[in-house]
Amino acid sequence: MGFILPIIPVITVLLLFLTRKSFLQHIINLLASGLLVIGALLLTYKVVNQGSIRYGFLGGIFYVDALSVIVLDIVIIIGLVTSIYSVGYLQEEIRQEKIRPGQIKRYYLLMYSFIFTMVMALTVNNLGLMWIAIEATTLASAFLVGFDNNKYALEAAWKYVIICSVGIAIAFLGIILFYLSARGVLSESAALDWVALYENAKSLQSPVLRLAFIFILVGFGTKAGLAPMHTWLPDAHSQAPSPISALLSGVLLNSAMYGIIRALTIVNCNLENNIFTGRLLLAIGILSILTAAIFIMTQRDYKRLLAYSSIEHMGIIAVAMGVFTPLAVFGGLLHMINHSLTKSMLFLSAGNILQKFNTMQISKIKGVLKILPFSGTAFLLGLFAIAGTPPFSIFSSEINIIVALFSGGSIWIGVVLVLLLAVVFAGIVASLFRMFYGERDQETLQPGEINKAGTGAIVVLLIAITLGGLFMPSYVIELIYQAQGLILGI
Amino acid sequence: MLEFVKILSVLILLSAFVLMGNKRINSYIETFRVQSLFIALMAGINGIIMLRTEGRFDLLAICVLILVLKVIYIPGLLHRTYAHVKYEVEKDFILNIPILISVCSGLVVFTYFCLGTLSSIIPNSIILQLVNSVSVIWIGLFFMISRKKAIGQIIGFLVIENGLFVTTMLGTEGMPFIVDLGLFIDLITAILIMGILVFRINDLFDSIDTDQLNKLKG
Repeated sequence: MGFILPIIPVITVLLLFLTRKSFLQHIINLLASGLLVIGALLLTYKVVNQGSIRYGFLGGIFYVDALSVIVLDIVIIIGLVTSIYSVGYLQEEIRQEKIRPGQIKRYYLLMYSFIFTMVMALTVNNLGLMWIAIEATTLASAFLVGFDNNKYALEAAWKYVIICSVGIAIAFLGIILFYLSARGVLSESAALDWVALYENAKSLQSPVLRLAFIFILVGFGTKAGLAPMHTWLPDAHSQAPSPISALLSGVLLNSAMYGIIRALTIVNCNLENNIFTGRLLLAIGILSILTAAIFIMTQRDYKRLLAYSSIEHMGIIAVAMGVFTPLAVFGGLLHMINHSLTKSMLFLSAGNILQKFNTMQISKIKGVLKILPFSGTAFLLGLFAIAGTPPFSIFSSEINIIVALFSGGSIWIGVVLVLLLAVVFAGIVASLFRMFYGERDQETLQPGEINKAGTGAIVVLLIAITLGGLFMPSYVIELIYQAQGLILGI
Repeated sequence: MLEFVKILSVLILLSAFVLMGNKRINSYIETFRVQSLFIALMAGINGIIMLRTEGRFDLLAICVLILVLKVIYIPGLLHRTYAHVKYEVEKDFILNIPILISVCSGLVVFTYFCLGTLSSIIPNSIILQLVNSVSVIWIGLFFMISRKKAIGQIIGFLVIENGLFVTTMLGTEGMPFIVDLGLFIDLITAILIMGILVFRINDLFDSIDTDQLNKLKG
């Protein structure tokens, strides 16, 4: 069987163009995401057994290995969850007359183009094509961010497009420098092929590579939401429809981080140590966590708070990659998985809260646990999870990274990280926990869930992140070990 | 032939300075058109050299693409967008022009020192041209933050792309064709999306001044 993953979203988009009835569009959406999951599982099975796979057609531009499969699986699993959630979400939006039935088609079209671009970014082996796909993710999701078409959504969309396009343009300069560093080492067609770059990493020009890495870190870091290039992120995540926020936060940020990790691997292999990249990543990672901690402490809008928490977790992953010991890389990859699952669950439950209460202000919401028993509980537990409380899975990956920091000799950075995590925890508790209790005074809202299937998906994610903290299936561990080997070059 | 490329690379840098000195939106668009024309000429000359030596048509095809997209289509699109949203002629910059120009000169000097570190790898004659094209990227970036109107920011983005494109052409003798093609597809989609957003911003805010986009904070 050939490589079918990028074809499924393309066919979905074509089918969506042809259908008129919103009922059919929902069905196509569910079928497509289900098929994607089956395809991804088959691919994962193959990669666990065979290592890397290169596909021959189209000049061999498709290449998959353990690292890309981890991020790809996250994309597709979160894609399935959001597509289940979207059905109920859109119906409720129509019932509340926030959108017209005709807009469902546009929503799904953009959503599947978005998924297509991300699948492309993760399955090509050419740095230039990966850049094009990552730039295309911005373009595909711009109108999703501005979907509500009010002043706030439009402002968020404009900032998103401009900041991310410029950021990614700077990454392209980095890619040109990568190409220059391979002058005379690799043939012209192979000079952007990152497998070839990696195999010949030792003979690339180090000064150019150093310069290239800085540009790539700034460029893809913009897309990954690392401070100080993060300013688009809270706006876009808070103004996008909630399922799209889940996709942006759980999936898009990881795809950009994947670009950084690919470049990091080559540069570290060339310099034969991680001092240069480690310093940059540690500085930018700690700065991201610090920025997020400050804004979480003073946040009044719960979706923005979740967005800042995404910046924090991307910072943690950057720190893990900066330390670059086997334990830290393992922790970082695990953290990617755990953060995506937890954060998308939180955004989806926040979506239920938003549709019920119709406000994003924390101070205007009371008694969530009474009015939304399931999504409220999931939101509460998810907040504990995202703050790093045991037994949830984020705790296990964070503890891995912290142990790696202390055992790897970066004791002071470990101390700072733990302190900042404590601040974030306190910030989340102080800002958000007043939402859950108390009576709602102004008007009477009927208790009860609105989006039944979506809430079911949220509960499944909650179970997954709880079990994920207690034990890991052996094939997941095997996959992470393989990816870890690829990154460290063992 | 190579002399022409050198002259063109200087002209491209000069056009970026001219852009910085422009006051009105219509004149930015025209300066951008001229800059793109220089780039198309450069791609054409390099394309002819490539055709003679290697027998490949890549760069000539790109030259045509630039002519169609960046010299004809995008400036026209921007003019139409601006005609739709125009309320009154007003100047559109935060600092005054002499300061802007001196900052740009500083950027060129900065780039010169940065790229000087590469002299062991790349021949000196190419480095001087790379200084010109990389400076265009930084000037584009600076242009974006010095203008308040949404169309000014789009032009800044386009100038950054132009700079990137020239850097690619000079530094690498052309990326693989598929990468160049993808770049153009991305560029044209980005401009269309930005154009539509400008319309919507104009509808909702009654202006395309990005200073008004200040609702989301903290």
